[in-house]
Amino acid sequence: MIHISNIFLALILLSVLLSLRSNRLMALVKLMAFQGIIVSAVPLVLDTAHGLTFNLIMFFLLLILVKGLVIPGMMSIAVNKVVASREIEPIIGYHASLFAGLIMIIFSVYITNHLNLASLPASHKLLLVTGITTMGAGLILLMARRKAITQVIGYLMMENGIYLIGTALAKEVHTQYVVEFAVLLDLLVAVLVMGIVLNDINHTFDDVDTALLGQLKD
Amino acid sequence: MDFTFSFTSFLSFLVAFTLAPLFMGVILKVKAFFGGKQGPPWLIKYYTLIKLLRKGSVYSTSTTFIFKLGPIISFVTAFMLLLFFPFAGLPPVLSFHGDVVVLFYLLGLGRFFTVLAALDTASPFEGMGAAREVFFSALAEATIFVILALFFRLSGSLSFAEYFSGDQFVNLWSQSAALIFLVLIALFIVLLTENSRVPVDDPATHLELTMIHEVMILDHSGPDLALIEMGAFCKMLFYSAFISCLLYPFHTGSALYNVLVFNIIMALIYAGVGLVESITARYKMDMVPNFILTSFALVFFATILTMEFVQ
Amino acid sequence: MNIFFLALLLIGVGGTQALATFRLYSLMKAGAVLAIIAGCSFGAYDAAARLLQHAEPVIYNHSWLHIFTFSLKIDAVSAFFLVPVFAIPAVGALYSFQYLHDAKRAAGTAINYFFYALLIISMALVVCANNLISFALAWELMSVSSFFLVIYDVHKKATRGAGYIYFIFTQAGALFIFAGFGFLYSHTGTFGFEALASIPDSAKLIAFILILIGCGSKAGIMPLHIWLPYAHPAAPSHVSAVMSGVMIKMGIYGIVRFYLLLEPTSVVFGQIVIVLGISSGILGVVYAIGKQDIKKMLAYSSVENIGIILLGLGVGMLGAASGNKTMAAFGFAGGLLHVFNHSIFKSLLFMGAGSVLHQTKTGASNELGGLMKTMPVTGRSLLIGSISISGLPPFNGFISEFLIYYGAIHGLSLHGASFVLSALAIIALAVIGALAGAAFTKFIGVIFLGEPRTDKAAKASEAGILMGTALSVLAASCLIIGVWPYHFVQAAFLVTQAIPLVSDYTTAEFMPLMTNISRTAALFILLFIIVTVLRKIFYIGKEVTKSGTWGCGFTQPTVRMQYTGTSYADSIVDFFRPFIRVQKNYSGINKIFPGKTTYSSHTHDTSEIGLNIFVVRPVLYLLSKLRWIQHGNIQLYIGYIVLAIVVMLIFL
Repeated sequence: MIHISNIFLALILLSVLLSLRSNRLMALVKLMAFQGIIVSAVPLVLDTAHGLTFNLIMFFLLLILVKGLVIPGMMSIAVNKVVASREIEPIIGYHASLFAGLIMIIFSVYITNHLNLASLPASHKLLLVTGITTMGAGLILLMARRKAITQVIGYLMMENGIYLIGTALAKEVHTQYVVEFAVLLDLLVAVLVMGIVLNDINHTFDDVDTALLGQLKD
Repeated sequence: MDFTFSFTSFLSFLVAFTLAPLFMGVILKVKAFFGGKQGPPWLIKYYTLIKLLRKGSVYSTSTTFIFKLGPIISFVTAFMLLLFFPFAGLPPVLSFHGDVVVLFYLLGLGRFFTVLAALDTASPFEGMGAAREVFFSALAEATIFVILALFFRLSGSLSFAEYFSGDQFVNLWSQSAALIFLVLIALFIVLLTENSRVPVDDPATHLELTMIHEVMILDHSGPDLALIEMGAFCKMLFYSAFISCLLYPFHTGSALYNVLVFNIIMALIYAGVGLVESITARYKMDMVPNFILTSFALVFFATILTMEFVQ
Repeated sequence: MNIFFLALLLIGVGGTQALATFRLYSLMKAGAVLAIIAGCSFGAYDAAARLLQHAEPVIYNHSWLHIFTFSLKIDAVSAFFLVPVFAIPAVGALYSFQYLHDAKRAAGTAINYFFYALLIISMALVVCANNLISFALAWELMSVSSFFLVIYDVHKKATRGAGYIYFIFTQAGALFIFAGFGFLYSHTGTFGFEALASIPDSAKLIAFILILIGCGSKAGIMPLHIWLPYAHPAAPSHVSAVMSGVMIKMGIYGIVRFYLLLEPTSVVFGQIVIVLGISSGILGVVYAIGKQDIKKMLAYSSVENIGIILLGLGVGMLGAASGNKTMAAFGFAGGLLHVFNHSIFKSLLFMGAGSVLHQTKTGASNELGGLMKTMPVTGRSLLIGSISISGLPPFNGFISEFLIYYGAIHGLSLHGASFVLSALAIIALAVIGALAGAAFTKFIGVIFLGEPRTDKAAKASEAGILMGTALSVLAASCLIIGVWPYHFVQAAFLVTQAIPLVSDYTTAEFMPLMTNISRTAALFILLFIIVTVLRKIFYIGKEVTKSGTWGCGFTQPTVRMQYTGTSYADSIVDFFRPFIRVQKNYSGINKIFPGKTTYSSHTHDTSEIGLNIFVVRPVLYLLSKLRWIQHGNIQLYIGYIVLAIVVMLIFL
């Protein structure tokens, strides 16, 4: 018996891992598109999913559209227009990022096991683990890369992770609200990307010049 | 040791050993197809082996007896791999609990002597290939042993014959499909690394930029080179068979049907390798450890997931 | 215990007569060597017989002035460790006859033999000690005698520095051991070993950690290993062989013995040991790859193998605490068997390196090359040693690593942190094995294969016949243990029966495994012979010629174009960058016309840098603040004495 939901979660973990080690911006954007589609489809394939109203399906389609088409499209416009070099500039290096990702998954399994939520169905345990891992990996990307666009990607991954955690912890009737919140958060990402494009922001700071930063304390 | 010297197991081993060069022809044909060419004939590798066996050798004055030992040991270790592997669901010639560890370490012995034979020639090219080979194989070993640990956790067995039989079998069509999915990707990456395919190494060239395996055997010729080539074919067959046994449960169903499906899946895997070789470029040498570490991270993920997945 | 004391007596006589007859150089050496070999043979035979015949433990007590009792006991654990304690120095003594060849240094050589004998005796006493005082006495004796052995070349500045570092580390380690002993004494009130199992659990953990640090610095656990790469290259090669092969195992013996005596029940013990094993193993082999001096490489490789031994012991401890019989038995047996195996192949490697050093007068591998043709016996023995230490079948290193793998794999059925650590132990073993293969292909490839890089290497010739015999004996034992491991594994399992959980372990589980491995090794050798014959057949009537190595069309190849050890190691060292610092000094090209440029690279041990920053500099800073006490004024010094007397009279 193959559980489709487990395959989907394995695919999400695969995309998380590949995003930590990739050194090309366009590859990262495509990966986020892939991850976005799979993450949006997860609640549909869960065992506990039922009661698909018309509203719910519309929201899911909207979510898949936004995560899979609109946001990656805007990000690729940003990459093509603003960013000079297509290489991701890491602060902590790819090997270290991969190891940090591994530590993150051990951490998330530890948390899931220790939370010991009695009301959590068995199939949601893997979902919770995946969610915490995705959120953690997003945080790693956010903190450990220099380019502004990768920080937005990190934020997007964190948001995917929170969405998964919400799906894991939510009772079935609240699924609609979780989906709506996800759409809202994605709009925020869209605004961030627009900001990068319109203001031509390439790096977070032009110079990592701590002397200039020190002047801020006055 | 289970010495199932039954006729079927010996026959399946012989057939696999004989077909090893044929499957390599599949890769060449696929690559030629993507290049818009007709490509070499299907039996090209057999012709190559016969040609090499007919020739003599030139030995470098810098070399010692180790240069002659290298091909022998690399062939014998790859040959022994095939003796222990269950092809198409048929029992292998030999099997015992714990044979996987012994076999992978025998592969390590083969690699040890190949590297020494390369260093024996006092050539900077071969030294470069040897240095890269030991580095990348160290990373690949980590992946392989995590896979073995994962399989033990899933099935409680430590032998190739036991992995793919019984009710705790390891397969994509079993309970833990998601984990095996990750293992398949990682194992494919290890196949590309250990057999020196693109994107880790380019087997078609002998230039500095692409040198890992092809350059280590640069100075070998004649029957020595034939032994090395056949050993490489056997190793590739082993890894492909490993992947194909994970893809389809061979331990049920009739033997003839299984053999047919097995050979088709093997051809598909080799074609997949040819596909990857045609559409990707070889990685910058610095990115290869990254590539192998990805495979390690994938199976490590899978192993950690068994902590809460399989109680 | 009569044979045991006879053995010790013979060894002691051998050492002392060297002091008496030092003027007759060869006679002195012959007498010492023969007596030591005789004594060691008796001792090794007695220990092995005791072990394999399941003999009852014997105890010997000698009370001294009613202050303490000097107590010795030979049980299974002691007997197991006694075999390498006696066997390896015997081979080392045989080797030393031709290695120490400088008749002008007769006095130094005599002192060397005396302390060599003393070292063997003290190690035997450590292994047999039956109470805290005897252990401490024997330990100190061992440290002192090895110190004098290390500074044989006392006229060289590097040796003096090495001896100094070694002395400090030994004494610091002994301090930690004494602290542990004092702690134990405060809980039990006696010096004996019997009461140790009944102290409270938290006390057991503290005592174990103190003893682990103390014995660990002797064993060479990362980060307490800093003395190893200084002391082993400085000492003469037969001494390095004994130190690396046997003496550092005394640290392991201390850990094993006190673990067995304390009988802890918590999983924390095993977890700590596994973590230490992983770090020592991986970092040790990375440093071995990064260093290019032959003996430094081998010293770091000892750190790596101590890591493997600790992995085995840790897996065993974890299994014992978790109630997993297979894990406990196989882990311990693997760790103990690796103690024995490592003593054989490490002493082989050190003595072989000594032969190379002796014949070429240089220890830098980047100056050697092509020695396999001119030093065939040494080359082949070292080849076998390298394959064994990389843990490859069909030699003995594989057997012990297989046992540890088996134990760790069965540990995967545990839960939580123990599961993660078992998985990490398996990964670490795999990576260590592969990297050890890299390190030792570098060792053999750069030193013995290729073309000689300097004249020193080109003019080398084979070392003396006794040195060659010593190497061959050890190499043969590596092969024998690899192909017929059964009795050696059985001996290791006999020792593991000292653990309460596994005391009823039978041969049923490990016998089929070992038989299968034996048969696979035999099959490999059979196939190897068949293919060699086939190959010969294929070469009948074919044209075989010789030529220079192909240089890609380059017509002026030089020997300097070969890969050196540094270049071979470059990518691996670069991968582990935060843990191993590489310092490159390049003079740069600053002339218009071609002129002299220099390039050198050194790898630095992070533990040493850390020790410098966190221990040495603060201590020196604090002590410099107290410098004012030493002002040189004699009157004030007299005042200090009077003050001290007054204080003592008032308060004591």
